Amino acid sequence: MRLEEQTRIARGAHDALVFIAFTARRSFRLGTLLVAVCVFSYWLVSHSPIDPVDAYVDADVMLVGPEQRAAIAAYWGLDDPPLQRFAKWAAAVAHGDLGTSMIFRQPVSEVLLERFTASLTLMGAAWLLSGLLGFALGIIAGARQGTWIDRVILWYCYTLASTPLFWLGLLLLLVFAVWLGWAPVGLGVPVGVLSAEVTWGDRLRHLVLPAVTLSILGVAAVALHTRQKLVEVLASDYVLFARAKGESEPAILWRHGVRNVALPAVTLQFASLSELFGGAVLVEQVFAYPGLGQAVVQAGLRGDVPLLLGAVMFGAVFVFVGNLLADIIYRFVDPRIRLEGSV
Amino acid sequence: MNINRKVLALVLAISLAAGSVAGCAGPRGTGADSTGALKNELVLAISREPRGGFDPTTGWGRRGQPIFHSTLLARDNDLNVVNDLATGYEVSSDGLTWTVTIREDAKFSDGHPVTAADVAYTFDSAAKSGGVVDLTVLESAEAVDDKTVVFKLKEPQSLFLSPLIATGIVPKHAHGPGYAQNPIVGSGPYKFVQWDKGQQLIVEANPLYYGPKPYFQKLTFLFLEEDAAFAAAKAGQVDVVYVPHSLAIRGVPGMRLLAVDSVDNRGIGFPSVPSGRKTADGHPVGNDVTADVAIRKAVNVAVDRRALVDGVLEGFGSPAYTACDHLPWWNPETVIKDADPEEAKRLLAEGGWQDRNGDGVLEKGALQARFTLLHPAGDATRQALALAVADMVKPLGIDIRVEGKSWDDIKRMMHANAVLFGWGSHDPLETYNLYSSKTAGVGWFNAGFYSNPVVDGYMEKALAATDENTANKYWKKAQWDGTTGWSARGDAPWAWLVNLDHCYFVREDLDTGRQRIQPHGHGWPFLANIAEWTWKK
Repeated sequence: MRLEEQTRIARGAHDALVFIAFTARRSFRLGTLLVAVCVFSYWLVSHSPIDPVDAYVDADVMLVGPEQRAAIAAYWGLDDPPLQRFAKWAAAVAHGDLGTSMIFRQPVSEVLLERFTASLTLMGAAWLLSGLLGFALGIIAGARQGTWIDRVILWYCYTLASTPLFWLGLLLLLVFAVWLGWAPVGLGVPVGVLSAEVTWGDRLRHLVLPAVTLSILGVAAVALHTRQKLVEVLASDYVLFARAKGESEPAILWRHGVRNVALPAVTLQFASLSELFGGAVLVEQVFAYPGLGQAVVQAGLRGDVPLLLGAVMFGAVFVFVGNLLADIIYRFVDPRIRLEGSV
Repeated sequence: MNINRKVLALVLAISLAAGSVAGCAGPRGTGADSTGALKNELVLAISREPRGGFDPTTGWGRRGQPIFHSTLLARDNDLNVVNDLATGYEVSSDGLTWTVTIREDAKFSDGHPVTAADVAYTFDSAAKSGGVVDLTVLESAEAVDDKTVVFKLKEPQSLFLSPLIATGIVPKHAHGPGYAQNPIVGSGPYKFVQWDKGQQLIVEANPLYYGPKPYFQKLTFLFLEEDAAFAAAKAGQVDVVYVPHSLAIRGVPGMRLLAVDSVDNRGIGFPSVPSGRKTADGHPVGNDVTADVAIRKAVNVAVDRRALVDGVLEGFGSPAYTACDHLPWWNPETVIKDADPEEAKRLLAEGGWQDRNGDGVLEKGALQARFTLLHPAGDATRQALALAVADMVKPLGIDIRVEGKSWDDIKRMMHANAVLFGWGSHDPLETYNLYSSKTAGVGWFNAGFYSNPVVDGYMEKALAATDENTANKYWKKAQWDGTTGWSARGDAPWAWLVNLDHCYFVREDLDTGRQRIQPHGHGWPFLANIAEWTWKK
């Protein structure tokens, strides 16, 4: 009894240590990743042909004289040498200041936070939807391999995988908003209604179409991989053995199939965060949904370096956290997998 | 079977629920609501979002109507300059001191009076903000008493009118870093209510506004992409929507098409000096073929502008002859007879261009009548115009090669190649920048290095004028004074082709008053006469 207790405490302590080591290692990796991403992005931006003053002036180009252009460049520090600009920016970031966005004339951190809160629900909903739907479709197709339902699902996935997202968004908009009138045309809130009067129902109603559109991106990938894995599992020796023992097909599917294929699905689902990020850009554009995507596109097209670098860092952290979560969840799905460093 | 039935019931329930929700947001065919009363609010999808927010000191409202703010001067529907917040202005005889007096009854939406101090503060801040408000000519702005502001300029400039027309006055007591996001205090016809970023802007009529009261008490501006905006119109969710020409030919039930004249023009800018030089950045300057005035004039005369309007713009436009057609500083004598290949041939022959080797392309010495016309690759209208022009001049023996490029490439190549540009502004400064020797090769101005001392002389006189009428007289002479000028009758450094109509779908029974000629870029300028808007009786 005493011994067992001691062992348990020791194991707990060991687990905690492993976890701390794991976190430290990962944090270090994130740090180096961020530095690399920033340097590389900055190098790219500084070699892009976009003239930030032109981009800033935009449509007023004929009414802004050379002196005012010089004033704009000076105000935003655009005339400093690139290395000096980067050093300045990096020093400010080290102090927690991400700088000021040129196009929004707001602190970058504020823009990112504002925009991300807005797209979080969209991305979250789409992510869940694509994961669940993709997994379910993959299981069905895999279990019924070769039948008509499998073929239908495959056809559906291939079609979706090769469909441009913005086009799909427009199509859904046309059918559900214009013809059927079930959904609103774009925006995250009802037209002309004050924020205090916007209900959760309103928000939900405005979320459905963009979220469905965005989720479609992930459905195909998850479904196809899940199906493939399931087909492999079902052809394995241990499933053959289970069949020989006389286990029923649903039981086999549940005990050997679903558990085994959950792992690649989870990996894929968390790895898909980067695609989700990219897809959100297009979807938000089509539905005028107020998210980070719109802001990132603007930052890139108009040479807003602080905002772009801020968004890139944010994106890197976002994707990194996604992968980290996948690693941690593995442990729960499959206890055989330990965090790195534990034996 | 049982499961299928359950699923079916679920689908039915969902669609019913969705249907009932949709019921409340269904199309509104007319201005009347369900009770039959006329609604006094509008939903508009006409413009891009001003991403930097709504601060006039950094550029908001300069090309349109700064609806939350009033400006010192304004343009009326004929684009003449009239008083707004100002009761008058005086320019000293040397043109360096501008004294503006403002009205007594103007108040900000929080009840504070609008004073000369607010005006001076606005111009001071704008000059320092690093925004797109170009006030480099301004030496100082000072309030001498509550109602009088004195502007000192570094050099005389009649165009100082433009910032007085375009800059919305901000409240000194309520202006700060967050103002652009939340400009609740202003003295314009509307006051700011709410901005859902990336989505919509809601404004309400300002009860303290001194000017004519608008009928519509609430406006909601949606910031939608063109396709989504059109979809919203189809779904009956907006009252006014901007549409590109390609969509304008398709109807929207319950809405009428409103095509508004504009100086949103498209035209070909030619390099007008021979090749050989380079800019400071090392980009080539000049083109031996287009440097010949005979070629430039022949293109101008041969092109059938009406055919371009009908063929490329689906009829939504008008022929363009200058950069400023029908504006107060436009000279109507610049209109030439076009679609005249015989006259073009005569001009070319007179200029010494002949097809000696019979290959269908004219020569002059060793030079062949061949040049490249660039257009931004993503712009279908400009591409179609460029190709159509190339087709039109081909029978004359002028070989134009049309190439799509990015703006960044065009910026490097534009001094040595013809470019299909688009301009159009309610500010004569634009024509100065396009044609002055001083702006040759500066930024996007005068990319073709056009230079004519007589034209320069007129334009300098226009700038130095102390009243608008004198200035306009010289702006007109710079276009054509009877012997020379920058228009197609004179040196023809440009072949202006068309002015685009700005197309909107508006509710059938919405009366948008008398529309003025719109500048390049659609949207906010449309609201300039918002006080005239009402429902048709």
